[in-house]
Amino acid sequence: MRFLLALAVAVLFLAWFLFRAGETAPLLPSLQAVPSILRWWGGAAVLALGALFAGRAYCSVLCPLGTFQEAVWRAGRRRLSRYVPGSPARYWILALVLAAGAAGLAAVPALLDPYAAFGRGVTQLLRPSLAGGIDRLAGFLESRGLYGVIHRAGSIPFVPGLFWGTAAFFLVLTLWSLRKGRPFCDGLCPVGTFLGFFSRSSLLSIRFSGESCTGCGLCGTVCPQECISVEERKVDADRCVLCLRCVDACRGGGLALSFGGSGESLSRRGLLRIAAGTLAALGVAFWSSKKDDTVAAAASSWDEKLPVSPPGSKSRGNFSKKCVACTACVVACPAGILRPSLGEWGPEGLFQPVLDYGRGYCQYGCTACGDACPTGAIESLEPGEKQLVSIGKARFLRRNCIVRKYGTACGACSEHCPTQAMRMVPFRGSLTIPELDTAVCLGCGACEYACPAEPKAVTVSGLAVHGKIRPVSGGNEGPTVAPLEDFPF
Amino acid sequence: MDRREFLKKTAALGLGGAALLLPGSVRRVLGAREGLPGLAAVRGGEPGEMFDRGVAALGGMERFVKKGQTVVIKPNMSWDVPPERGGNTNPGLVERIVRRCLEAGASRVYAFDHTCDLWRNSYRNSGVEDAVKRGGGVAVPADTSGYYQKVPLPGGRALKETAVHELMIECDVFINVPVLKHHGGAGITMGMKNLMGTVWNRGEFHSKGLHQCIADVSLFRKPALTVIDAYRMMTRNGPRGTSEGDVTLLKAQILSTDIVAGDAAAARIFGADPKNVSYIRSAAGMGIGTMDLESLGVERIAL
Repeated sequence: MRFLLALAVAVLFLAWFLFRAGETAPLLPSLQAVPSILRWWGGAAVLALGALFAGRAYCSVLCPLGTFQEAVWRAGRRRLSRYVPGSPARYWILALVLAAGAAGLAAVPALLDPYAAFGRGVTQLLRPSLAGGIDRLAGFLESRGLYGVIHRAGSIPFVPGLFWGTAAFFLVLTLWSLRKGRPFCDGLCPVGTFLGFFSRSSLLSIRFSGESCTGCGLCGTVCPQECISVEERKVDADRCVLCLRCVDACRGGGLALSFGGSGESLSRRGLLRIAAGTLAALGVAFWSSKKDDTVAAAASSWDEKLPVSPPGSKSRGNFSKKCVACTACVVACPAGILRPSLGEWGPEGLFQPVLDYGRGYCQYGCTACGDACPTGAIESLEPGEKQLVSIGKARFLRRNCIVRKYGTACGACSEHCPTQAMRMVPFRGSLTIPELDTAVCLGCGACEYACPAEPKAVTVSGLAVHGKIRPVSGGNEGPTVAPLEDFPF
Repeated sequence: MDRREFLKKTAALGLGGAALLLPGSVRRVLGAREGLPGLAAVRGGEPGEMFDRGVAALGGMERFVKKGQTVVIKPNMSWDVPPERGGNTNPGLVERIVRRCLEAGASRVYAFDHTCDLWRNSYRNSGVEDAVKRGGGVAVPADTSGYYQKVPLPGGRALKETAVHELMIECDVFINVPVLKHHGGAGITMGMKNLMGTVWNRGEFHSKGLHQCIADVSLFRKPALTVIDAYRMMTRNGPRGTSEGDVTLLKAQILSTDIVAGDAAAARIFGADPKNVSYIRSAAGMGIGTMDLESLGVERIAL
């Protein structure tokens, strides 16, 4: 039952990442540990309370990466050794993640967050082949005149570094899981280690009952965490994920899920441990919720072009602290212009997405990325609100413009500009040439994408702190009613 | 319907029916001689209603669509804006045309546009995709290069070839349904400019000379009928517009068998002299059509 539930959760996750990101609220991802802490500082306290009640059941039910490992291991049907003591390295990893998070090096927590790692696995490894299949099927139907039966899934930006990194991660994890059950949960996962502080004093736990246990040791061989010591009749409560494999395997009812006080009572040491863990988590969460006061930076020259962060991310500071590079927004973006970065945000922002106006432009009324983001790195905006948020500013270099260069009519930039920040004004003869009003420029990139000049006559540079434009004039104006009185011919 | 109109319609239908019995080549020559007008201008009604009156004056839908033919309609649904903004062809008009094609015996009616804004959003929010479906037609995607095939443009001055949507090659009847708008780059957009949404590489138009390319692309396939929607006319900030304030509720429509004449008439409605619109002048010079409306026969209808 527990495994079926976990599988269902993981499948829902998969489906959300593949098809629904940006269209339905990220309810499921919002229940994930790291996103919930990043979104709301109280998320850490809720998780801690949860672990005090139900131990690390989170790992065996809600975490899709945990379920992935369990599924792989079950498929391999390999029995494990009876007991391996927990490695102290996990504490150092947790400390490293907390320190890096506090120092603003988002890439470290991003790489080790199980939610984000699972998300990258889906979007990088699973989605391309699935989308390819869908597109081929659509093509086949269209070749038979059946248009619009299924829509093409389209492709998302391919970033080789991210693809190969993700592929390597999942290859290693798969091989390792076949041998060791849940190696990520046991030795690496910062969320698991954090929950472990509290699960030691959990109300729900697995306990041996002295009379029924024959000491056969079967339970130890089915435990994916290798945390059952049959000799000592003891389960390491900080590592046990309450997957109940041992309880199912035990023939004589030698161990059971028990309620009310674990083996270890709440000693002074235990309380201190809980207090320290809570403080550390709250500290990081509080730090990441702090307002960001970075001064608005602007590109200093035509050649310098600052990267653009998604609408709703508010500022480079907010975005870099909260984005775990799960790539949900990348698949949600209907224009396909959100691309995981390689160097644009510096090494600390590895894989955090950037808007790529070479591929398209940010659609005026679209709020899909913010609707998909579970961490608050991109806040969900109302379309009306979003249409006033300036994420960058266009720069127009007149000498590159083909109207001036070749004396030919164009206006592609102005055509696409939703606010007429680029508007056409009289030039020579009947020609018109763009004129830029940055006060109403959203930085959406429509002008840059549409500009046919080579090199571009208009490019957009990102704003380190997003701004607000004044509403475009005549927002509430109605049409002029003037039915044609007579034909002018 | 008054008596005069009734007689006219009956006569037109009768002649149209008789013409159907003749071989195609003879029919085409007779088409002009029968005295059917080549252009109908309608004002003062709702879009669907104006279309019905206009097409009746041109000889009825049967003049353009025969039983079993496949029809492609090319509306403008390029922008992710609602119908009130006048950025796209009126959905009510598109629905009516689709329905009339099917009633005339069309086997299938398709509609597509190579959109500027994202195609899913533009198709949906323009209201045109729904209108096509309501009318009984199919809204076909046009967002990837796979749908396009390279064709020569013999006689083209700036463009010698271009890739057009496969349906433009395969269909039996092509009906062009643009909306009349201000256009920052081309001045005014209507019939010929709307054909830019049938090609893949639009950027090329801008770099090779917009006006000449618009005229050249009209060489590939002349529409059997061009219906220019001027129900809501965008008078500034075009072609996308920024608010409803950019729109004039004009309640007019031009239907023409000659795309150049249709554009010339629409330009006058917009308040411009067609001779000052480069692509109209070029196209007329290349013999794609005529700017001389009277030579075509004009029917003016007020509702």
